[in-house]
Amino acid sequence: MDIYSFIIGNKEIFKLIYALIIIFVCFVIVLKTHRLFHLSAHPGIRYFRNAFFFYGIAFFIRYVLVLATGHVFLITPLFEFFIIMAGFFLLYSLIWKKIEGKEGSRSSLFSLRILIFYVMALILVILDISWSTLYLMFFSQIILFFIAAVISCVNYKNRAKSNNFSGFYFIAMILMLAAWILNSLTPTLFDWNPTALINIYLLNAIFFLVFLYGAVRITKY
Amino acid sequence: MGKKRERLEVIRDVLKAIRENRSIKPTRLLYASNLSPQMFKEYINELIEKKFIILEVNKKEKKYFSLTKKGYDFLEEYRSIENFIENFGL
Repeated sequence: MDIYSFIIGNKEIFKLIYALIIIFVCFVIVLKTHRLFHLSAHPGIRYFRNAFFFYGIAFFIRYVLVLATGHVFLITPLFEFFIIMAGFFLLYSLIWKKIEGKEGSRSSLFSLRILIFYVMALILVILDISWSTLYLMFFSQIILFFIAAVISCVNYKNRAKSNNFSGFYFIAMILMLAAWILNSLTPTLFDWNPTALINIYLLNAIFFLVFLYGAVRITKY
Repeated sequence: MGKKRERLEVIRDVLKAIRENRSIKPTRLLYASNLSPQMFKEYINELIEKKFIILEVNKKEKKYFSLTKKGYDFLEEYRSIENFIENFGL
């Protein structure tokens, strides 16, 4: 029995383990970045923290709540909303300076700019529900991570000498972009092939672990 | 002419000036911070509001600034904060 068959045979347990690992990673990143934000009041750290806070909620809803309640229909739109918002926050953490200036805005969850993200996420979720697809989530995330990959590539080239993690950041963005592209192809090209799904989960897990590695290594406490 | 200091660098410099002197008079801190009086006032108000520093009055009725625990924590972790912002492109 190969590893894929073993995972497929025990998929519910593996899904739960996968979700718990990602929720734990998000929890650690949020804790570490919250402390840095508390001391520095730096808006970029705040948006970055929000991204992983929303990722944590999304994975909790999608995997833990679904397993606990079985209400897939109600929970999927919520998961989609939080995943889209998390992506927006992650991208915004890279570009906020160009939009807000160095001082930033007072609230990171309820400012006018963030309200636009909420509205966009809500529209995407509503359209996906009404068309019974997940394609708008997939496409929004592909566009978003494509932009984030370009920005992180520029950051890597500009700052390679002064920091070591920007290369990993760029790789993480590429992995997530690949995961979302695979995700969008799974319903059609791969016909929900379990092996393809496992590869997506693996890419997702690596993405989160890279960020955990960065957060732990840089903060060192 | 040197490049304009980032907000966090100004905060670090102000806090360092206080730490090096244990406590410092407002006028001396203004000189040490290398800020205009208007900017100095804004930064000091922010630092007091965020509980990084406190303004105390001694027995001779002289005012002086000193660091709080949060102020010391900020200086200890400034390197981490700076590295985090730089490495994550924030």
